[in-house]
Amino acid sequence: MTLQECYKEMNGDYEETFSRLGSDAFIKKLMVKFLSDDNLQKLQDAYKNGDGATAFMAVHTLKGVALNMGFTPLAKCCSDLTEKLRGNNILEGTDDLLAQVEKEYARTKEIVGKLDA
Amino acid sequence: MASQNGKKKILIVDDNEMNRIILTDMLEKNFELLEAENGEKAIEILSKQHDEIPLVLLDLVMPGLDGFAVLKEMNKNDWIRNTHVIIISVETAPVLMSRAFNLGSMDYITRPFDRVIVKRKISNAFKLFSKQMDLENLVKKQFETQEKNNDMMVNILSHIVEFRNGESGQHVLHINELTELFFEHLFRLTDRYDSCKKDLNIIRIASSLHDIGKIDIPGEVLNKPGRLTPEEFEIIKTHSATGFDILNNLPLYQDEPLIRYAREICRWHHERYDGRGYPDGLKGDEIPIAAQVVALADVYDALTSDRCYKKAFTHDEAVRMIKNGECGAFNPLLLQCLENADADLRRISSMKTGQEQKINSVVKELNRMEEST
Repeated sequence: MTLQECYKEMNGDYEETFSRLGSDAFIKKLMVKFLSDDNLQKLQDAYKNGDGATAFMAVHTLKGVALNMGFTPLAKCCSDLTEKLRGNNILEGTDDLLAQVEKEYARTKEIVGKLDA
Repeated sequence: MASQNGKKKILIVDDNEMNRIILTDMLEKNFELLEAENGEKAIEILSKQHDEIPLVLLDLVMPGLDGFAVLKEMNKNDWIRNTHVIIISVETAPVLMSRAFNLGSMDYITRPFDRVIVKRKISNAFKLFSKQMDLENLVKKQFETQEKNNDMMVNILSHIVEFRNGESGQHVLHINELTELFFEHLFRLTDRYDSCKKDLNIIRIASSLHDIGKIDIPGEVLNKPGRLTPEEFEIIKTHSATGFDILNNLPLYQDEPLIRYAREICRWHHERYDGRGYPDGLKGDEIPIAAQVVALADVYDALTSDRCYKKAFTHDEAVRMIKNGECGAFNPLLLQCLENADADLRRISSMKTGQEQKINSVVKELNRMEEST
């Protein structure tokens, strides 16, 4: 899969990302880095431990990463959960939002994994 | 502020590695980059190297110490004065942005990072620093030039007088230095003259003019090698009132501190604390303090310098003679200053001897060359 095909499949914005980051090679390098991202793991652990502050931090970071990478749908659902947790860090009632993040994250990683070397 | 390779340093503080990678890719060509993955590490780096780091790119939301805590620490230690901060944050809430600005950050870069915007914001920041620095240097340089010109003019003027007088050109410099020194000791001794503190540099310059009235004394009296007759001495004595008149007739600047002090010093630097001096016979604190100090400086320098009619006395001899009242009468506070300044005076006097020896050896060398041709 080419970069353009990846972005198209995940509904990301290739043009915008390319204009910001400057080169395909660099975007690819970041994609590879993204495959070893552990922020979802951190987020899930925080939910298991009932640790709202850490959950906020993890999803907040993930939102930044997704924005930088131009992963628009992932950025959107991370942003929704971030805003829900902001200021109160209460996890109750956010399971749906978490599920969406998990689903989008898995989908994005799968697509990125198919990228040509 | 620049490192050995000439690149300026930027500290990137962000807990997310991907952000640091993106910024590094954008900036590593033009800057030397340091990285910190949290607030604690950032403060550790800044505490050691803040002098060399003109710019910090700072994330706000981080585990542990966050960006606000880093800003607070930078304010507390006053690092923020020379190390500027640009916030890099996914946060766009006005309340957070304004809080960061209130803590002294200069700009804000939001995510997603855009290569052009990041580079341009940073290069603008550096342009601003260097403009500010250029302006500071310009003002400093102009001030120095002006001070130097000012000092030079006063020096030329007083040198003209001394030149006619056949005295060494060093006299004025000695009076400058001694006046400053005695005043410093006087300020330590009492707060009575604190109103002069801010004017010390002006008084130092004004002291150069103490003998300008001598310009009006006929050369044959001024430079008479032998003893003066009482009539001739009366003529010499007019120089203090004459100096005052010259300054008093200046069409401009009458109210400037420099002229005011110079007038006092010219007219009254031959008054005596016991009231037996000239031209007005002022007594005690009727004599302005600047004139009293210059009088002491004048006497001390005259005693410790070679003159056509006498050899120099040593520092110890000069101090003894002044204290014994053999060379005028002085304010007891000033006599105390003379004693307290002992170490400084010995240092100055040894330098003076060194300079005179150098001048003498040059003169000898010139004579030898003349003989051989």
